[in-house]
Amino acid sequence: MLVQIQRHWFLYVLIVPIIAYFCAFLFYPMGQGIYLSFQKAGLLGPVGFIGLENYQKVFSTPMVWQAIWNTLILAAGITFFGVILPIIPAIALAEVFPDWLKRGLQTIIYTPYLFSWVIIIGIWSNTLSPIGLVNSLLVQTGLVDQPITFFASPFWARPMVIGLTVWKDIGFHALIYLAALLSLNPDVLEAADIDGASGWQKIKDIVLPHLTPMIKVVFLITLLGSLRTFDSGFLMLNGRTADQIRTLAIFTYERGILNFDLGVASAAGVVLLVVSLIIAGLARLILRDREA
Amino acid sequence: MLRSRPITILSFIVLFVLAATMIVPLWSVAATAFSTKFGSLQPGVILWPNPWSLEGFDTLFRRLNFLLPFANTFYVTIVGTTLHVLLSALGGYVLAHEELPGRHIIAGIILLTLTIPSQVILVPLFVVFKQFQLLNTLLSLIVSELVSAFSILLMKTYFEQVPKTMIESARLDGAGHFKLLKDFYFPLALPGVVTVAAFQVVHKYNLFVEPLLFIRDPQKVTLQIALQSVILGESATSTNDFIAPNVTMAAIVVALVPLLIFYPFMQRYLIRGLTLGGVKE
Repeated sequence: MLVQIQRHWFLYVLIVPIIAYFCAFLFYPMGQGIYLSFQKAGLLGPVGFIGLENYQKVFSTPMVWQAIWNTLILAAGITFFGVILPIIPAIALAEVFPDWLKRGLQTIIYTPYLFSWVIIIGIWSNTLSPIGLVNSLLVQTGLVDQPITFFASPFWARPMVIGLTVWKDIGFHALIYLAALLSLNPDVLEAADIDGASGWQKIKDIVLPHLTPMIKVVFLITLLGSLRTFDSGFLMLNGRTADQIRTLAIFTYERGILNFDLGVASAAGVVLLVVSLIIAGLARLILRDREA
Repeated sequence: MLRSRPITILSFIVLFVLAATMIVPLWSVAATAFSTKFGSLQPGVILWPNPWSLEGFDTLFRRLNFLLPFANTFYVTIVGTTLHVLLSALGGYVLAHEELPGRHIIAGIILLTLTIPSQVILVPLFVVFKQFQLLNTLLSLIVSELVSAFSILLMKTYFEQVPKTMIESARLDGAGHFKLLKDFYFPLALPGVVTVAAFQVVHKYNLFVEPLLFIRDPQKVTLQIALQSVILGESATSTNDFIAPNVTMAAIVVALVPLLIFYPFMQRYLIRGLTLGGVKE
């Protein structure tokens, strides 16, 4: 052991900057957040320990409960549709031919995953504007009398955040599923052919069970990501939509950075961390139980 | 694969419809961007420049000074990605030594960072960056996510595939750590290195929350923030002037161009990285 340590001492020197970075810019801020959540915030910084007062303030603010609720609803919607829907294009991608078309379609549906939220909102605010493509079609076909204000309506706020998030990630998730599909043994499908199974039966009894482990992985990634929703909600936030899509992460930003109420904002941040850790833990437990 | 005609036909339909939801909005953005100010304000759908004009781009660069955010973003992207790749490689290199005592502790610390997403610690991050006097500097954007657990683990996975015998013989010939990294690990694990770099380029180019949090100075504004203020119409060029759709859409086109040039070359690596990341999780 000692010989090994001596032999490799320089490796420890190499890893020190990385560990130091994580300590200074992740663990230390995390600690600061917890520390600040127990402090009374002054204009120039924390001015003293006040126990759980910030937490009391957090939980007695109706806006916080609204934000927690918004976070959970958006996360549920994004996770449900973001996990289920991409299975369809994944199977479809395995079906289409020739190869160049398959690759082209892959490229196109993956592209939005690389776009920033600012660009996504910019693109869709054009297409979904009251005089845009979608509303023109809806009005001309007589489906609606008045153009729908997709980006400024309490009714559409949550569906918009969920829908655009699912749309942005659908290619990414479909390609993850596709990679799993390619590892499916063709002999199994051939055997099913001989037994006279229809295409739908093969999807139900062979393809979906084969995808299950990957579906669980995508479920966890999506769930954890969606609990942290910030960019999408923040960019779609306005007077008409705020109560529907102000997530807990957005609340901490508004309180801490714009109103400079560091104590309450930090406490809300800790609440968000705890909530997401609990949900992630529960999700892992449930998935593991089913496996056993 | 499924040998079912209805499913095959349905597959084509599903994918063409999905692809259309990506292509049509982008097409409409481009068509509006190349229209005149007056044309872009007309009600109705613009699927072709109406009439053709570069007015939007002219306003964007001449009057809104859109070059500055580009320069800032390129600087952050290039410097940030380079440092990120080097540090992640270093981390992956250390973790790839299976016989290193305490390797599990180091790996544990690195994995622990995955439980702290930056969106959760926005406020304390602001406080800490202020303490380190990083507010209002482009350096703050390079420092945030200077190295990440995801990249380190990806590098490690690729480095472990480099043949041990080759490394051993190079070491016997007297090659040190840096020479091993430079002459063996980097070239032999190049796909891994490029994957990390490609993801980081996209990440840095798209940075939004961090500059929103750390930067107030208009001289240090980055692309996504400038884009946001154009899209939300916050940066009217003068009091009786407002930003017409052709300018907004021109800004989107301009912001998309570098990404769309970069994407075809890096597609292989971006997709490989995500499937690898997905499988590893």
